[in-house]
Amino acid sequence: MPTKTDTDGVTYLEAIGQAMMSEMEADPDVFLIGEDVGQFGGAFKVTKGFLEKFGPRRVVDTPIAETGFTGLAAGAALVGLRPIVEYQFADFISCAFDPIINVLARHHYRTGDAMPVTMRAPFGARLRAGPTHSQSVESYFAHVPGLKIVMPGSPQDAAGLLISSIRDNNPVLYLENKYLYRRLRSDGPINLDPIPLGQAKVVREGRDVTLITYSAGVSQGVEVADELDKEGISVEVVDIRTLVPLDIDTIVTSVKKTARAVVLHEAARRLGFGSEIAAEVQEKCFWHLDQPVARITAKNTPVPTSPALEDATIPQPAEIAQTLREVARA
Amino acid sequence: MATSTESKPQSADDALAARDPKLLIHIYEMMVLTRAVEDRMVAMYKSGDLLGSLYTGHWHEAISVGSAAALGDGDYMAPIHRDLGAHLCRGMEPWQVMASFMGKATSPTGGRDGTLHYGRLDLGIYNLPSHIPANFPVATGMAFAAKYRGEDRVCLAFCGDGSTSRADFHEALNMAGALTLPCIFVVENNQFAYSTPVSMQTASQDFAGKAAAYGFPGVKVDGTDAVAVYDAVEEAVTRARKGDGPTLIEAVTMRMHGHAEHDPADYVPREMFEEWRKKDPVELFERRLLDSGVLSDATAKETREKARQHAIDARRKALADPMPDGSTVEEGVYAD
Repeated sequence: MPTKTDTDGVTYLEAIGQAMMSEMEADPDVFLIGEDVGQFGGAFKVTKGFLEKFGPRRVVDTPIAETGFTGLAAGAALVGLRPIVEYQFADFISCAFDPIINVLARHHYRTGDAMPVTMRAPFGARLRAGPTHSQSVESYFAHVPGLKIVMPGSPQDAAGLLISSIRDNNPVLYLENKYLYRRLRSDGPINLDPIPLGQAKVVREGRDVTLITYSAGVSQGVEVADELDKEGISVEVVDIRTLVPLDIDTIVTSVKKTARAVVLHEAARRLGFGSEIAAEVQEKCFWHLDQPVARITAKNTPVPTSPALEDATIPQPAEIAQTLREVARA
Repeated sequence: MATSTESKPQSADDALAARDPKLLIHIYEMMVLTRAVEDRMVAMYKSGDLLGSLYTGHWHEAISVGSAAALGDGDYMAPIHRDLGAHLCRGMEPWQVMASFMGKATSPTGGRDGTLHYGRLDLGIYNLPSHIPANFPVATGMAFAAKYRGEDRVCLAFCGDGSTSRADFHEALNMAGALTLPCIFVVENNQFAYSTPVSMQTASQDFAGKAAAYGFPGVKVDGTDAVAVYDAVEEAVTRARKGDGPTLIEAVTMRMHGHAEHDPADYVPREMFEEWRKKDPVELFERRLLDSGVLSDATAKETREKARQHAIDARRKALADPMPDGSTVEEGVYAD
């Protein structure tokens, strides 16, 4: 049922909060756990007001123990609860690498038991936060069978995909682009209907080239595409929304139509998720392609702190426009 | 050389007669069955029945059975590879354990996992990965869920001395204390982490003492004394049920086989084995039950024979069971 919100537009951050709030209201088995999620309302204030509303039983502040509370979430999920785990920054998720991979991801295959854990983590660059507060971590986990990976690019998708993640019986890594938290606002109210995992979306139709992207790349890509329209280049933008499962069919349909494909993400280039998409596209669309698949990615560097350095590694609009131009016109 | 413990000596035999004989016999039967199944599986390892190595719990029987016997039916457990006895107490079938070590379709994981990874959630037992003590944080979660729902359940988690060096151990114990979770942590101190003796693992004098750092009780018991283990765990369970939080129990024993059967354990001083051989938990407990009149010679003999036959039958079934179908390999990566 569509839910009215206080204002017309909802930020990406508010959408995440609304989705969690609604699931916690609807299902007493859903609880929130992480560092500073309660009395402080989360490092980015996504869970502000949750402790007051749901109390300390369901909004659990933990010691600094990513391995510990990830394992705790697994144990709670095994006996019927639906934990939402918040990692303060996606960078710190490496401290929980072992339980995510060896406890959570493999458990259903090993045993047949459900493992409904949602892991939320703010990731990404452009906040001048430096090499260990700006990472894109999706590729570490995309290699691991048993995990689902969700990376929404709009407030509406952030809400709908989070609701589906919480209801999913598998461990879901839900990566929030922290640059978008307060910068991206929906045009009007959002609804809190679940959006199925594994369905890509054509967010902008076009004729000349397909831009395949996710998370912050979506709004960034649409902005560049609108500019390129003035040059007579028509860009179709596909938001994959979930990396695992990947809706390759929607990508293939679009690429077969435009015959040209560009992948965009802010993760580093080598074995970034664009490599997987490029490989899939060439396997499934080779004879339809007029050009090699191009990748627009961060450079193979850590994410540096200083603006001049960070901007030099993270894809900027000019680079995105230039690559799309080259692929579309060649 | 750590051949003795500072814990209390084996509880006095006259006290045994005053205890519930049904409980004592249950513990005895489970310990005897555990030993019989593991002895049979050692033979299976040697004869090439098993896929890979075999992890056994010789001299851990008093810990695994004594601890599990102190739990109620609704309680959770997160045991490790020395704790066959704990699984058997919860109703695990010996043939399923053997099937697990053989990769059979009938194992609890259908051959998806194998060897020591045979825990069954329907028996309240977490099936742990190889990254021990990854089961410790998971155990805090099972305990958390019980508390969350206001259920009268506790979770009993086991690890070895080696596991105490890992971050999971610290994070789980610290968090269980901070959140006052109904957890019981049992450290089975069997003197070696694979080949590394306790003296090279930690400068601490014991493991029970680590509990002080987490703000809850730590208890050290003779891990070859089933009654002492039972009493310590029972007290910790009572404490957890009252909402008073976790307890750490160090149960001291010896790993009488290698880390696994492929390991001849030639790094263990022979005298150490000889000393500990005198402390066979199954024999010690049997002797005390006989001395206190709880058990008769005839019943003891019958129990041992029944356990031996059970293990033989289990092997027969496990051997005859089918292997999984390779064409199903991609099924079950994700839950519906």
